[in-house]
Amino acid sequence: MRNRASLSRSPRSFISTAAVVLAGALALSAVPAQGASTPGVSATEIVLGMQLPQTGPASPGYNKVDDAMRAYFDYVNSKGGVYGRKITLVTKDDTYKAGLTVSTASALINKDKVFAMVGSIGTQTHISVIKDINRRGIPDLFVNSGYSGFYTDPKKYPTTFGGLGTYIVEAKILGKHIKENFAKNTVGIVYQTDDFGRNTVEGLATAGVTFTPKKTAATFIAGTQGSGLDAQMQQLKDNNVDVVVVGAVASAFAAAVASANKIGYKPAQWIVISVGADATTFQTILGARGIPAASSAGLLAGTISASHAPSPGEADDEFVKAFKKINDDFNKGPDKRWDNNILQGMNIGYLTTSALLGAGKDLTRPGIIKYIESNAAKLSSAALAPLGYSTKTHEAFTGFWIGKYDAATVLKPIDATRKVWTTDSAKGAVTELKYTRPAIAADALPKVG
Amino acid sequence: MRAVSKAKNRSIARKSLRRTIFFVILILLAGSTFEPYNQAQLALVLILFIGVLSVTLLTGISGQLSLGQGALMAVGGYCMALLMTNQGYSLWMAIPLAMVGSALAGLLLGISAARLSGPYLAGTTLVIALAIPTLANRFMSVLKGDEGLPVDVGYPPVWFTNLFGEPSYEEWQLYVALPFAAIALFFASNILLSRTGRMWRAIRDHETAASLSGVNFSRQKIFVFVVSATFAGLSGALYGLRGLVGPSVYPVSLSLLLLTAAVLGGIRSIFGAFIGTVIVVFLPDWIDAILHSFELSEQVSNFLPALVSSLLLILTVVINPAGVAGTHLHKHKHK
Amino acid sequence: MDTFLAALFSGTSRGAIYALVALGLVIVWRGAGILNYAQMGQAMFSTYIASTMITNGNSYWLAFVVAIVVGAVMGVLLDILVMRPLSNKKKTELLSSESMRAAIPVIASLGILGVLQALAGIIWAAEERGFPAPYAQEGFTVAGNVMPFTSFDVFVITVVLTTLALTTLFFKKTGVGLAMRATALNSEVARLSGIRTNFTRSLSWAFSGAASSLAGLLITPTSNLSPNTLDLVLIIGFTAAVVGGLDSPAGAVIGGFLVGMVISFVSFYGSPEDVFLAILAVLLLVLIIRPRGILGAKDARRV
Repeated sequence: MRNRASLSRSPRSFISTAAVVLAGALALSAVPAQGASTPGVSATEIVLGMQLPQTGPASPGYNKVDDAMRAYFDYVNSKGGVYGRKITLVTKDDTYKAGLTVSTASALINKDKVFAMVGSIGTQTHISVIKDINRRGIPDLFVNSGYSGFYTDPKKYPTTFGGLGTYIVEAKILGKHIKENFAKNTVGIVYQTDDFGRNTVEGLATAGVTFTPKKTAATFIAGTQGSGLDAQMQQLKDNNVDVVVVGAVASAFAAAVASANKIGYKPAQWIVISVGADATTFQTILGARGIPAASSAGLLAGTISASHAPSPGEADDEFVKAFKKINDDFNKGPDKRWDNNILQGMNIGYLTTSALLGAGKDLTRPGIIKYIESNAAKLSSAALAPLGYSTKTHEAFTGFWIGKYDAATVLKPIDATRKVWTTDSAKGAVTELKYTRPAIAADALPKVG
Repeated sequence: MRAVSKAKNRSIARKSLRRTIFFVILILLAGSTFEPYNQAQLALVLILFIGVLSVTLLTGISGQLSLGQGALMAVGGYCMALLMTNQGYSLWMAIPLAMVGSALAGLLLGISAARLSGPYLAGTTLVIALAIPTLANRFMSVLKGDEGLPVDVGYPPVWFTNLFGEPSYEEWQLYVALPFAAIALFFASNILLSRTGRMWRAIRDHETAASLSGVNFSRQKIFVFVVSATFAGLSGALYGLRGLVGPSVYPVSLSLLLLTAAVLGGIRSIFGAFIGTVIVVFLPDWIDAILHSFELSEQVSNFLPALVSSLLLILTVVINPAGVAGTHLHKHKHK
Repeated sequence: MDTFLAALFSGTSRGAIYALVALGLVIVWRGAGILNYAQMGQAMFSTYIASTMITNGNSYWLAFVVAIVVGAVMGVLLDILVMRPLSNKKKTELLSSESMRAAIPVIASLGILGVLQALAGIIWAAEERGFPAPYAQEGFTVAGNVMPFTSFDVFVITVVLTTLALTTLFFKKTGVGLAMRATALNSEVARLSGIRTNFTRSLSWAFSGAASSLAGLLITPTSNLSPNTLDLVLIIGFTAAVVGGLDSPAGAVIGGFLVGMVISFVSFYGSPEDVFLAILAVLLLVLIIRPRGILGAKDARRV
């Protein structure tokens, strides 16, 4: 009978209590109304939103990008902002779980009323919200993902623009290099079985570099590299692979090198896709395992990688110099050590500022999309390759240069003079690219003519 | 005898129907006054409420602790997404079929778990929650690996917009979830009030006595799993409709979220399931609203919701295991 | 053959750690009738403390000892602050049934896990860090081939086997150990015969906390340290404990090595996508064929 008592409670009390709870929920999370005609733009402010994994297993390295972007925006604000408007960056942590990304996107759009999304990180998580963002006509600028599916069909995703060169373009360019220089070697790959790893394999195959599953191709589930890649390295070793391509993030590259080291496996050449070629993460992880910085630098030395931007170690580069200064002065993040992630964040900040300036005083959502689509040539950044935005594609950097790490963990051009290569995300050929990067102004602010 | 029980069943059904109608009116009223953000949050409450009910029925009523409801949600989500993307089914067709799919998964799980209970069952279901999403990579060509299958609620049909005007996307999400949540509520309420619910409680309270009194113990246990899996599958299908069905949509933490909601609200009551869901969905917003002025660093603020909900979970089981709804019930009894 | 040896070695060193985790689970299960899902959260927390000490210039061994002591203290605190008040609530309506008495502590331990992970994130940030090993992590050479088996692995296996031997001796030979066994078998009878059951229960928690902290210290050098890295280890440890028999310390060790081997051979010979499915398959197989585990007692309570 006791149980019955609990069940025969009158529905009225259920309803009244539920109503009180919901009213409370509403009261505490009420959203202030906004009157502006274009959401997120007022006379004094432009609000931008960004989603990324700030915590959780996928966050290392990436959680520095937003701090760098904010540092650049703070610098712009200190110089008077964009047409007198301050840039505010609202970031949301989705811990790389797509179910959460939907909620954080809703919060950015409906609660923070952002003008645009900018620099969001993560392919799977972005897939869950890209359609909704596009349907609402919200600019989805400079996404930090090289997944070509987001950019190559602007009819499908008209408001989404890339913020990285695509994985396929990079893999095709590296593939050409492998084909030409390591024809006599046994080339193998270790890659994570997600869009990034698979696009890399696809791009390499387009360039004629193919692998045999379970023999010269070793795989792991993205995120499981923490428990070591012993089996994968043993597999490549057993198949006499002497050139190892790494299609994985930096912590997995570090795990692969540590495992290879453990089993005495010394491939003649490591080739790492740029996403994984982050010297800081590499050295931090190995360093904490008791491998001192000098030794880990030695392990990295000679590794081939590609990049669309200058190496963060190129101290003479004018963009590197300017961004480094801004990072020192304005970055308030917990870890502001200068590296690829910071450089990329600064670069997206610079690019965003250019686009906001170019779109003019009368800032609207369609206006900025139209501007980016038709003025790619006027937009520039620290990158050594131009931006590919047009009405046909929304891919970002169309070129990569190939380099080799020196003993001081700086990526140096492999040719005597730096050659930048370009191709498309489909079957097109890889050709050399002539591009002169516009100089950075003395005040490190973009100038849009 | 039979006539009496028929009349009783009718009165139970009437009671459940009354509850459901009140619930629908309440949600519609709340939904129409909410801003889009809270409408989306409310839609999420309805979706997760169904999943939490699956925990209430399985754990609260029949005493079997599962940490793998997220895996059953994934089954529902994938069934629906495959039917929608490959067969071109509408969501109104795909969701009921997805419920059948997850019921079958529940049957399998029930058969293999019927002899387990307590921590054994909890641990095994936890391993299941971990293993099921990796199937997406195992069967890449069909399940599309980490990228998953993008699906959404789409646009309202013409007759709807003709009758009620053009709803915002958030409102439409809410209106799609509402009928399913209402049906789930009706069935859960019916089960709890009826003889079935009594039998399930008997399983929980006195395993031996239940089997002696003629309840087919293991068949009922499997049945509980099937019903619970159907609820979870429905919740998972609707959860996927928010944008994507993929492994990162149904992580292990989702299973734990459902359990937390069920316990905080009161693991034995439907009302508790609803309150608990409201708590876990709105908690981050409440914390944000309260601590907004403190300028906490990201490092602290990102972890606060998890910290608070875990602390609430511990406090609930130690101080007031019956949850929010339980307190309510207590007062009621002493009146 | 190389791959075979490599898989064997890798399975041995991993298996040793899973055995330790399983041992921790078994001790609390025997001592308090609770499966502690927060166990590797405690280990993560104490390993972070060790990591911070080492970064601040303390010696590895000091940090090592401190972490183990912290693990033990944390175990006792959990017992006194959460689990004991819970078991005193047995008379309330919600906990009147046996199934709920088994479920509620599991839920409480999940809450504790959540609190520890959130706290670790707040205190040490969520970034992954490594954790040093006291011995070289370069493989031995066997017949001209370098194997994935290092001096550190030897250290791991030695420590685990010593811990196991000491635990067995403790339970069999010391008065306290016998009292703990008695409490585990029947706490009412134990209390009536004058055993301080609260004390022996807390001692189980301390033991388990220390053992799991040790596991944390031993596994993080080959993986990375972050608030979530040890979740998977707990799940594997649980499987190992069930395979060996939840109430048998020796079974836990056998289960640990067995599961370690399965995981190793699947990842060396199969594909890494299948590791989780393999764990699930092993678990279901054991639960169907021999639910009490390899060395589990016949009348083991499987509530």
